[in-house]
Amino acid sequence: MNDAVLMLKNGSIYKGISAGINGEKIGWVSFYTGIVGYQEVISSPVNAGRILVMTYPLIGNYGTAKKFMESKQAWANGLIIKEESRIDSNWQSEENFKDFLKKNNILCIQDIDTRTLMVELREKGEQFGIISTKDFDKKNLKNKINKLRNKKTYNLSEISVKKITKLKTKQSLSVGILDIGVTNSLINQLKDLKCKITVLPYKTNHNEISKQGLNKLIISDGPEMDKELSLVSNTLKSLIGKIPILGIGAGCHVLAKALGADIKKMHLGHHGLNYPVIKSDSLKGKITEQNHSFGIDEDSLNDKDIKVTWRNLNDNTIEGIENKKLKVTGYQFSLSSPGLGEANSFLKEFVYDIDTR
Amino acid sequence: MPKRKDIKKILIIGSGPIVIGQACEFDYSGSQACKALKEEGYKTVLVNSNPATIMTDPEMADRTYIEPLTVDILAKIIEKEKPDAILPTLGGQTGLNLATFLSKEGILDKYKVEAIGASVEAIARAEDRDLFRQTMREIGIRVPKSGIANTIEEGMKIGTKIGFPLILRPAYTLGGTGGAIAYNKEELRDFLANAIDVSPVGQVLVEQSVLGWKEIEFEVMRDCADNVIIVTSMENVDPMGVHTGDSIVVAPSQTLTTEEYKDFVNLCKKIIRKIDIRGGGTNIQFAQNPDTGEIVIIEINPRLSRSSALASKATGFPIARVATKLAVGLTLPEVTNQITGKTTTFFEPTVDYCVFKICRFTFEKFPEAQTTLNTSMKAVGEAMSIGRNFKEALQKGIRSTEIQRYGLGADGKDISEELQKDLNIIKQKIKKPNDERFFYIRYGFKAGLTVDEIYRLSKIDRWFLNNIKELVEMEEEIRLQATSLKSQAKNKRSSKNLQPETYSLSPELLLKAKKNGFSDVQLAHILKTKEEKIRKLRKKCKIFPVFKPVDTCAGEFHAVQPYYYSTYETKNESISSKNKKVLILGGGPNRIGQGIEFDYCCCHASYALREEGLDSIMINCNPETVSTDYDTSNKLYFEPLTVEDVLNVVNVEKPIGIIVQFGGQTPLTISTALEKEGVKILGTSSDSIDRAEDRKRFRILLNKLNLIQTESDTAISLKEAKEIADRIGYPVVVRPSYVLGGRAMEIVYDDEELGNFMDKAVEASPEKPVLIDKFLEDAIEVDVDAVADGKNCVIAGIMEHIEEAGIHSGDSAMVLPPHTLKDDIIKRIKKNTYALAKELKVKGLLNIQYAVRHNTIYILEVNPRASRTVPLISKATGVPWAKIATKVMLGKTLKELKVDKEIEISHVVVKESVFPFARFPGVDAILGPEMKSTGEVMGIDSTFGLAYAKSQIAAGQILPLKGNVLITVKDEDKRKIVFVAKKLADLGFNLFATKGTAKVLKQNNLDVNIASKLHESRPHIVDLIKDGKLNLIINTPQGKLTKKDETIIRSTAVLHNMPLVTTIAGAQATVNGIETLIKEKESVKALQEYHKRIQKSEVRNQKSEDS
Repeated sequence: MNDAVLMLKNGSIYKGISAGINGEKIGWVSFYTGIVGYQEVISSPVNAGRILVMTYPLIGNYGTAKKFMESKQAWANGLIIKEESRIDSNWQSEENFKDFLKKNNILCIQDIDTRTLMVELREKGEQFGIISTKDFDKKNLKNKINKLRNKKTYNLSEISVKKITKLKTKQSLSVGILDIGVTNSLINQLKDLKCKITVLPYKTNHNEISKQGLNKLIISDGPEMDKELSLVSNTLKSLIGKIPILGIGAGCHVLAKALGADIKKMHLGHHGLNYPVIKSDSLKGKITEQNHSFGIDEDSLNDKDIKVTWRNLNDNTIEGIENKKLKVTGYQFSLSSPGLGEANSFLKEFVYDIDTR
Repeated sequence: MPKRKDIKKILIIGSGPIVIGQACEFDYSGSQACKALKEEGYKTVLVNSNPATIMTDPEMADRTYIEPLTVDILAKIIEKEKPDAILPTLGGQTGLNLATFLSKEGILDKYKVEAIGASVEAIARAEDRDLFRQTMREIGIRVPKSGIANTIEEGMKIGTKIGFPLILRPAYTLGGTGGAIAYNKEELRDFLANAIDVSPVGQVLVEQSVLGWKEIEFEVMRDCADNVIIVTSMENVDPMGVHTGDSIVVAPSQTLTTEEYKDFVNLCKKIIRKIDIRGGGTNIQFAQNPDTGEIVIIEINPRLSRSSALASKATGFPIARVATKLAVGLTLPEVTNQITGKTTTFFEPTVDYCVFKICRFTFEKFPEAQTTLNTSMKAVGEAMSIGRNFKEALQKGIRSTEIQRYGLGADGKDISEELQKDLNIIKQKIKKPNDERFFYIRYGFKAGLTVDEIYRLSKIDRWFLNNIKELVEMEEEIRLQATSLKSQAKNKRSSKNLQPETYSLSPELLLKAKKNGFSDVQLAHILKTKEEKIRKLRKKCKIFPVFKPVDTCAGEFHAVQPYYYSTYETKNESISSKNKKVLILGGGPNRIGQGIEFDYCCCHASYALREEGLDSIMINCNPETVSTDYDTSNKLYFEPLTVEDVLNVVNVEKPIGIIVQFGGQTPLTISTALEKEGVKILGTSSDSIDRAEDRKRFRILLNKLNLIQTESDTAISLKEAKEIADRIGYPVVVRPSYVLGGRAMEIVYDDEELGNFMDKAVEASPEKPVLIDKFLEDAIEVDVDAVADGKNCVIAGIMEHIEEAGIHSGDSAMVLPPHTLKDDIIKRIKKNTYALAKELKVKGLLNIQYAVRHNTIYILEVNPRASRTVPLISKATGVPWAKIATKVMLGKTLKELKVDKEIEISHVVVKESVFPFARFPGVDAILGPEMKSTGEVMGIDSTFGLAYAKSQIAAGQILPLKGNVLITVKDEDKRKIVFVAKKLADLGFNLFATKGTAKVLKQNNLDVNIASKLHESRPHIVDLIKDGKLNLIINTPQGKLTKKDETIIRSTAVLHNMPLVTTIAGAQATVNGIETLIKEKESVKALQEYHKRIQKSEVRNQKSEDS
């Protein structure tokens, strides 16, 4: 077993043992509080470039399987865990966690006091960090983080589809997904909702999009900090009002920007399965899956037609916006399936124009 | 939504006495509920027959009724109090059943009382087997194939159709009572008869067996705005086939995929909506096929439960408190999460640790009982542990059960090396669920079995098994390293002169072992050294545990009121406050002899410390209790109660002292070791405790004070024991020293029995001699509780036992004040008590057991600590004795506390015990010197007759007012029973008796029917019982040997819930009670009214003294 180290940008060091491949990677150190979901978060494009701290200490228990991949590959730059399971125990498991990490080229450190690390992130905020299994010199590591400045550790064009892709073409309701990191679970839900699906590369311009004969457009979730997202916002500006648009996660940020609002980094993002959102001015809410480090800046929402529809009950941050007139809706939380293969009710509402309000 | 304003007064139903399947988790839930309702400004009326609860403390509710939990009594309370609503979801199955019956009998309608928390309809959808299955089918949720039977024939038909094995589940019963697994027709027929019998509605579900499937549970809550949350998942390590109350359980679930987890969550949400809980919570149990993922629902409990208590303690989310607030119309977003102080209860807790629950069994009390676990619950208590991995939590959990094991084996308590090689036995023990299965899994691995082999035998998920295997491997690693380091050290020593201990284990491996839960005792055993040495080694290597919080959110939010667990990580998060602190050691898991009474005392100690401005710090590992509620103490450590674990807390907190008087035997057994490590014990000195516990020193003490003891001596061999018995004469009481609850105590009548006892006793308590006392036949036993401040002593209460001496005080019925003792005797008892308190310089509580015979007062036992009766006396007298004792221990005098007068009450209080005999088929239902009861009830009224009658009703003995009485007593009792029989005949009862007894009764001109014994003609006695021909049985055991017949008669009576009296004194009291009930109906009165009268009479007393 090799030693491994994590250094945060602020200089904090956490020493552990390597559980994945050997090497060195820099990433945005974020966290995940769900007790299940390691494979899904590793393979979600939204986590591209991130080093994830899993707060649940026992990881790998139920193994991994191809069907649980959220996209074609793993995107997380690294994983920080307490204890890696030595066996995988579930009837669906195809590959144990260790092999999965190796096959997907993931750096992982175990035997870390992840609780202490989480508390540090809570107090000091999410930040860049480096994990290494070969360089343990503090100065070197620090230099490497500092040199990184704004350089991405992944490429959005690798995440997004290369060309316009159509799925379930026989259906009549045509829904487009502007792909800044679409997940398999979103596509599967739309399939279940009997949609004809058109997945569009993020660089697709508005003319091209208009030509697709879409009834609805969804901006998928994806890596939040990507500079190229402003490009997508610009594309949207020309589409807003012409077609009903739904933005999810980072897609919601893109949409908000297109509507003139600002996005800002939160002190501590939301990353887990247990976030309560409340319908504005009510006591009715939902428990949602969330994964965002940035949020819509409340002060920048000057357009009176944009209504805040949902808020996070823990910190009152904005989780949902809407401009009814322009038929645009955005949710910062994930629209994942609630289980049993059912579609998310928000997704259903958007696709079928169900107005529950 | 704001809370409801149309409701002002709410009736809360408690769960009654502690029984198997219903323990102090309902005191925990009920107390939270009372506090929650008070916070919201509602008036509360509470009814519970169990006086040992915190919820029945007079300040918890506006009106507190310690009355039997029957429909009649509840109707009377409702009539008197006129509540607007009833909250039945906190009193376990008892509460739900009562609400259902109150509704069925029209009482709720008549007085316009609304059931909140769960409507009567919702309860029916969950509890009625047929309706439940129908409801689940409507939302497409699979239930195991099954059918409902009301007769044996129906059941046989259904069973044959589904195929064996089959599970039987009687409707509306508690903790799986009467549940069974039938493998063939013959068994099915037998079990059906019993199941139909024990179900209060005569209904049983015959169900397809899903033995070996995964058992997964969820705690779900919903408010009136339709917000739903999942509090936690739990996975039973023991798969289907073992009652969840007996299973080892982990939280959260460990082996579900994300998709499976979400499927379960979605099912839970559908279920709680369909059952339509609008403002409350429910527990949902599923079974899942481990090979296909197929899910079926097993059952749901739309109320607070053992599981909900566990889920609360496991996550920090107080389900009972929140459920209560939801019941009065608040929504989850409106209720604050008090652990974080900022967020609300509308969220789903998440954890960054692994929680392990393990049960405490008491098979040693019932040697005839089978130790096999099945669908009928047998555990009497449980412990919870927390670790950063499963292995750490597992080892801490085993330590916490206090079965003298310090982890998963390797602690010097394993079976012999020889037995560890017997694969046949090992495999059997792994296959058939039993209380030692985990230890045998370890032996299995050591003997070379693989994970797959053990999985095939046990169906315990491979993930858990592999973790156990890792522990076995680590143990081996430690052993190997120790051996190699030792030989290295030997070589080096010759050149460099190094201490061998330095090299017993590398710091890296030591830390790794600690991270995986190995205790110092285990490591000492593996390394063949002493616990203290390992502690020293750890100090040298600076290996100490840190404390991490249970904060509901895995560190995402700062917690203002968390509680803590130890683990070996890098950063300690338990910051010690600057205040003066006192540590209270709790009692650990419930067991027979040490239960809720001690937890009550620990809670009061905590309250008293806080009243005095000190920080109270609790250490306990019992998730069912009020003492482990997050707001009972300033700080709570969820830790095992061993020397190592307590010292770790002491090191961080540095308290000014530690209280060991209140947690029963548990804290006392480790107090000497703690004192040795420099911990200050508050209250009565350990030397005084030793003077009372050590028999030789005790005799010297009594001699000094001129007090009389029964003739006694101690023996360490059979030869010695025989000599002593000959000298003082049979019968003698024999027992090992330093035990609680009369463990292994027996009355023996001859040499042979003595021999048998000595064989067992050596096992019961090694290194300690056996005590032999003269048994006082026909003496009256008296229990005295008192509090002393080192100089003065005030008697809290004197209780007279109803059964004669020889029956364990924990099992005996008692009456306060004494009803047959003469004033002179009472005066002398008081004098003796003062003298003992003074001589022992008691600072705190004191309990003395006396026996009175022919005007002689014998001292049986002196216990300078809290006794089981402290809460009862507090309820009877309206004085919080445990609190007073705590303040005395802190240095206050009784005078300063204004406790210098003894209280005389004008009402009568009777304590009665309840027994788990029905859980252990074939076990004889007789009382003796070994304690067997699990809980107690209190009857309170103006006369002895009424109070006794109430105590019997509350304990589940339905006293008949007419009908047939069977009397069969031993020869010595035949004369004494005549008076009882005459009384019964006068009251209009028909008498039945066996030949011998009948003869004596006939000679006394009584009309008696002869009932034939089992070997005589049929119908015999058992037939009469089964046919419901009898209404009361009076049967005293035949002296020294229990006849097989009698055992059958008594256990049949217990199974058929027929009132059974096994002592003459009990018979006299019962007849007294029946007579009173016939003449005057019982009435109900709140505790607060009784206490008010005590205060008034006290004031009067003082005035008359002044003038």
